Amino acid sequence: MISLYIIFITAVMVLFLGLNKKEVGFNKLSGFILIVTSALSVAAAKGWIKTAELESWAPSNMIYFGYAENMMVALLSLITAIVLLVFAETEIVGTDRVGLILLSLCGAIMMIAYQHMVMLFLGLEVLSIPLFVLAGSDKERLASNEAALKYFLMGAFSTAVFLLGVAFTYGATGSMELASMGIKASFHHALEGMPVPALLNAGLVLMSVGLLFKISAAPFHFWSPDVYEGSPNRVMAFMSTIVKVAAFYAFAKLLSNFEGIRKSWETWFIALSMITILWGNLAALKQNNIKRMMAYSSIAHAGYLMMFLLLPGEKLQQYYILVVYMISYAFSSIGLLSLAHVLNKNGSEDLNFSVLNGLSKKNPLLMIIMVIFVLSIAGIPITAGFAGKFYLFSSAWYTSPVLVLVGLLGSAISIGYYFKFIKGAIADDSENSNDFKIGTVLTIVLSICALVLVGVGVFGLETLTFLIG
Amino acid sequence: MFQSIDISHYIYLSTVIFSIGLFGVLFRRNAIILLMCIELMLNAVNLLFTALSTYMGDADGQIFVFFIMVVAAAEAAVGLAILVMVYRNTRKTDVSFLDKLKG
Repeated sequence: MISLYIIFITAVMVLFLGLNKKEVGFNKLSGFILIVTSALSVAAAKGWIKTAELESWAPSNMIYFGYAENMMVALLSLITAIVLLVFAETEIVGTDRVGLILLSLCGAIMMIAYQHMVMLFLGLEVLSIPLFVLAGSDKERLASNEAALKYFLMGAFSTAVFLLGVAFTYGATGSMELASMGIKASFHHALEGMPVPALLNAGLVLMSVGLLFKISAAPFHFWSPDVYEGSPNRVMAFMSTIVKVAAFYAFAKLLSNFEGIRKSWETWFIALSMITILWGNLAALKQNNIKRMMAYSSIAHAGYLMMFLLLPGEKLQQYYILVVYMISYAFSSIGLLSLAHVLNKNGSEDLNFSVLNGLSKKNPLLMIIMVIFVLSIAGIPITAGFAGKFYLFSSAWYTSPVLVLVGLLGSAISIGYYFKFIKGAIADDSENSNDFKIGTVLTIVLSICALVLVGVGVFGLETLTFLIG
Repeated sequence: MFQSIDISHYIYLSTVIFSIGLFGVLFRRNAIILLMCIELMLNAVNLLFTALSTYMGDADGQIFVFFIMVVAAAEAAVGLAILVMVYRNTRKTDVSFLDKLKG
């Protein structure tokens, strides 16, 4: 809760103090504040600081910060801090965009901690509306305009579908509080032993479709490659990670309250997960543009993460799977994107693999960091990516072994396109006059990210002990 | 008098209005019409919430409607701003220009 207040106040301050100013300072300052709030959230989760006074300001049947929620907030703040810091030296644009990113983060935090559908809806919108603006923040570029309009239309459309689902579920269960909604839903089912009432079924389907749009799972993913490609690089790094963390956690919270009628949705989710994994990976294989490839790879990762939604019983007690997986995915995808962005000296937003040519000779340290990112996002052992995929697949094995096999097949395919990064870096290209010098802040942040990825991979068990507490 | 109308009629009516909006979003090409269709979808949901709330004697639904109205206003403001930006660059409000990004 304390993080939400601090982030919100920072967002408003940055928005107004830095209006129409182009300063790097605001970027770095907000990044450091976010690291502090991340530490505060961990402290609040572990009980090192008491925040009961603050929590009592908000009714606990609306929004509630338990242990898992605080840890998730820490993860969100950390990822946003990395996004702000790695792009701090190259994206010198109006600081109002930093304010919008922070406001969007507030929405993500509300989505994580919701206990009532009103809060989920408000969180979803507070998360999305700044992102519509951010996607189009490159006002002169037509691709950015197109991304903004597309994202806006899809976002508003999916919100309306989601809301109709909430209304139907409200009609079927008579409540919008998460806990009582779930109890009544399972009660209907258990008592009568009959098929789930039509209204509840329709409500659940529509709510799921609304959220599947947000996590860009197939077949509701068609907007995401276009939107990601058209958006500025920093915005893409932000929205391919934060939106996914928040939406997956909120989705898991919603579904764990409908465990009682699990039979009615389990098969659908298994099928959608398989389609998403295969579609994302196969489509990524033929891309030559880095941003478009990362967009399809984020769809594939959404497919793997749908296994988290299928965990039996209390999903949220196993939130550490989501944290480990997202550390791997978010750190490496932000790292790769920012590297390609900073090495692309000709100023265009189109990122091709040729910008990396010659990296291995001219800057070996950067090459090692990049290799760690690639290994981690592909899920090769001794990196965090392997640990995350291992926990995810081993927990999904009891639900559906076929799904795990499809996941393994997808991971095998994914090596084919992630290694294009390494291929591009080894390829010698004398025409590339790039000197491969990058800023100090960027080097430090990327090195720390790489160390964390290897650290989580090697000391997986210790990380889990820390997360479970 | 009003109580004699069964709740299912409200559900059918709002579903029909919602579907009109939905088909509008899927088949119309003018971005302003699309915005109006999205508003129509949201208002269908508002109608359903109000009806259900009265039917069940639970105030939550009606409060939710206020939140939806506020958010819809914010969304329309941002959407129109994006549309103005697009119009400045292309001199069109037709969504057929949304085909530059492919692959």
